[in-house]
Amino acid sequence: MFSIKSLAATAAILFTTAPLQAEVLFWSTQARPVEEAQAMREQVLSGFEAGVDYQPNEDGPWLTRLQAELQAGSGSIDLLGALHGNFSALDPETLMDLDDLGVASKSETFNNLAKLGTDSLQYIPWMQASYIMAANKEALPYLPEGADIDALTYDQLIAWSKAVHEATGEAKFGFPAGPKGLKHRFFQGYLYPSYTNGVVRTFASDDAVVAWEKFRELWEHTNPASTNFSFMQEQLLSGDAWIVFDHTSRLAQAFNERPDDFVAFPAPSGPTGRGFMPVLAGIAIPKTVTDAEGAKALLAYMLKPETQIATLKATNFFPVVDVDLPDDLPPSVKAAGAAVAKMSAASDANPGLLPAGLGDKGGDFNRVFVDSFERIVLARQDIRQVLDDQKGQLAAIMEETGAPCWAPDAPSEGACPVE
Amino acid sequence: MTDAATTLVDQSRTRSSGRWLYAASITLLCAWVIVPLYLLLINTLSAPETVNSFPKSFIPEFDLGSLQFFAGFRGMLEALRNSIVVALLTMVMSVLIGAPAGYALSRFEFRGKELFRMLILLTRAFPLPLLALPLAVLFIRTGLDDTAFGLALVHTTLALPFAVLITFSLFSGIPVELEEAAWTLGCTRLTAFTKVVLPLILPGITASAIFAFVISWNEVFAAAVLTIENRTLTAFLLQTLGEAPMHLKFAGGFILVVPALIFIFAVRKYLFAMWGIANR
Repeated sequence: MFSIKSLAATAAILFTTAPLQAEVLFWSTQARPVEEAQAMREQVLSGFEAGVDYQPNEDGPWLTRLQAELQAGSGSIDLLGALHGNFSALDPETLMDLDDLGVASKSETFNNLAKLGTDSLQYIPWMQASYIMAANKEALPYLPEGADIDALTYDQLIAWSKAVHEATGEAKFGFPAGPKGLKHRFFQGYLYPSYTNGVVRTFASDDAVVAWEKFRELWEHTNPASTNFSFMQEQLLSGDAWIVFDHTSRLAQAFNERPDDFVAFPAPSGPTGRGFMPVLAGIAIPKTVTDAEGAKALLAYMLKPETQIATLKATNFFPVVDVDLPDDLPPSVKAAGAAVAKMSAASDANPGLLPAGLGDKGGDFNRVFVDSFERIVLARQDIRQVLDDQKGQLAAIMEETGAPCWAPDAPSEGACPVE
Repeated sequence: MTDAATTLVDQSRTRSSGRWLYAASITLLCAWVIVPLYLLLINTLSAPETVNSFPKSFIPEFDLGSLQFFAGFRGMLEALRNSIVVALLTMVMSVLIGAPAGYALSRFEFRGKELFRMLILLTRAFPLPLLALPLAVLFIRTGLDDTAFGLALVHTTLALPFAVLITFSLFSGIPVELEEAAWTLGCTRLTAFTKVVLPLILPGITASAIFAFVISWNEVFAAAVLTIENRTLTAFLLQTLGEAPMHLKFAGGFILVVPALIFIFAVRKYLFAMWGIANR
């Protein structure tokens, strides 16, 4: 059976009129928006000779289809593209070990994450992004005196948003607190590291109470419609928000449509540094792959420097291998790239890692932070009490998964404790 | 004389205010449907900057950029064809299975009839994301996976309750005496059905077919999981639209809505005919 299929695949490569079956099926949760999907097909994957059927999906159908193929023991998916979080929710046994491919990212941290707790690479890091701040240039005159936009503190951000609020009569800070917004990453990767130098250990510390108090202050000057915002580029473009926080690729459209109207800048810093979090996407091959050779070839192709640059232009996700960036990058890439570079090079940089080792509890982990946000900021409940409540749930998740601490929390032996 | 004149005036006044109310309600109902569609059209035909700006103009500027983007989108036409094939298959199957069930429910007494009527609704009680996994496993094993027929089977299951309940009420609206008269005049059960009952309820059956069409057209999750090469338009477009920029959302929405609108427009007289029967 297998040999017939691979014969057919070889035959299809030999004859240029390749039938559909010969295409490598790339089943992805990334580059989903129509324009990005189109750019992936036309600019990134068109250079792969055997042809690629690139199919972006929402997380639900992506996972369901994959699970169905794994359970049925056969399928049509050749290559998986997804975020680290999607992969860590899978059983590593269902993914092929990829060590013998000889490709990996330049970052040891990423390569270790990609092992998913095993001894070998379960996916190959594919591309990375981060969360940054962006502002409408109309907001710049209201910057507090002496504040450097590239080295803001949370206090200055609050003062700035307040000044804009008072001058325009409208709360113009925008926060992606909508149903599809990535608010939990702000708490896990930005607020907590900046104020408590931790995420799990310090979840209910006194420093955390201060952090939430500060965020409440900021919320006073936040557009109350933020609970409906999920892609801050829309509010930047419409003018509903002047100062925003979001994922680089969720801000891209604003910079590409009106590059002269907006600035991108690093996330603010708190008492314990400038917390920020990388986003990591990877590529894996499921055990049920039909065209393993084609999938491996495509995987290697995706990691080539040229492909990585094309991917950057198409998706606003940055390369994970060493590349020389060209000069003709789109405005969004230039703006976001500069902001990320400043953020990671800042003297007080305090990078946090993506939650690791949580397995399928990643969603529950996020839930703890989202619930805390809703109770503290939206329902205005007592901070200390909410944190003490939520602490129990967080501790249960950590104990159940046995996940050790990740930066900026101090390393732990065994499960990361909630102190 | 004067009394009669006042009454006449009063009457005409009541009549004219009634007419006003009638016209106003009709206008409101039409606006309810047409205004969102019109806004969709305007934004589809607007440049990206106009889509994001406010206030909106009510005259489209005929910028075809957003639609052109989709014209170059690979696989659109194929997906459109798949959508139509699956929807037509769903229509045919749900009527073929649903109408006899509706007839049985209205004409025969059998044990468990009430339970059956309840159970038929149960197919809608389980969310598709829950059913999709076992279905997909089964489909992969049986070879139904990634076929229009397989997906149409799932959509038929979703459409069946409507088909059964609509045809049930239609059959109930036709007096059994009509059939009995046909029997006395030499018809068999089958010919009485085909010669007397069927012509009467044909418009209603078409209406239930339209429901099946719309249900199949709108379904995303099963389509996204059960098809890969043969995607339907909804599965193909909707997933990528959720995070797309506004102007493309509008254009994509427009593309999804138009074929369904054309279809419903084409068969609208059957829909009205069904309501005609129900009123009788």
